Amino acid sequence: MAEEIKKILQDILTKVPDLHCILITDRDGVSVAKVCTEKATESGTRFGFISTFGLAVDQGSKLGLGKTSTLICYYSQYQVIQMNKSPLVLTFIASKKCNTGLIMALENQLEPIISELSMVVAET
Amino acid sequence: MGCCYSYFCNDDRSSHGGDVNERTHLLVDPVSNNCNVQRANSEDILTRNSNNVPKKTDEQSALNKILQEFATNVIDVGALDSHTLQQNEYLERMRLYDLRVQRCNKSKILTKKKYILQDIPTTDKILSVDPLSKDDIKMVCIT
Repeated sequence: MAEEIKKILQDILTKVPDLHCILITDRDGVSVAKVCTEKATESGTRFGFISTFGLAVDQGSKLGLGKTSTLICYYSQYQVIQMNKSPLVLTFIASKKCNTGLIMALENQLEPIISELSMVVAET
Repeated sequence: MGCCYSYFCNDDRSSHGGDVNERTHLLVDPVSNNCNVQRANSEDILTRNSNNVPKKTDEQSALNKILQEFATNVIDVGALDSHTLQQNEYLERMRLYDLRVQRCNKSKILTKKKYILQDIPTTDKILSVDPLSKDDIKMVCIT
């Protein structure tokens, strides 16, 4: 089963130019499914980095604008897009020139995988 | 100051038997009104928790409650409790997830595939079809 999920993610990864990594983790950054190219930055895939999203989401919800759903961060070389799919966190790491809208559109495409993997984490 | 003033003003009014004169205020003093409202609110909080417990404890618990609510609503990035997993804890949890992923329902993931563009496997057949006759094209164009 893990292989099938990996294959689907790999297909998506190759179809989006300059997308380097798709990560599905829990709130603490523990990987549930992961596909990366050799261009993906190692520090961006660390659980310490990904878990900060959980904290940001909690604090962001205090601003009175509703629940935080997506966080887009642009760095000088990379862009990191994180989506709140409680109890999962969906992370995309791409190059700066990658089409952000294209990555955002992947949310619907990944919905079946996310809903299935949510059960994996929810059991804990 | 506003409160004091309204107090004397009320005195004035009572001494004149409620008559309207040059000292009578046109508007009701908003400060004293607010004071009353606030007092009612704090009393509400106190009375909400008062069930056979001494009054001082009630007051303390009400204050603690307010303090706690305030603390949870404040965004203090410096004081955030960043719980980081230990390496062995991380690996253990990852192994657990791997095992559970193996048990996932395969059909649910594979049947919901949807793409904007659909694959056409027999392109030769479509391309080898005879083109439209000139008469047909003429008929479509004359409108």
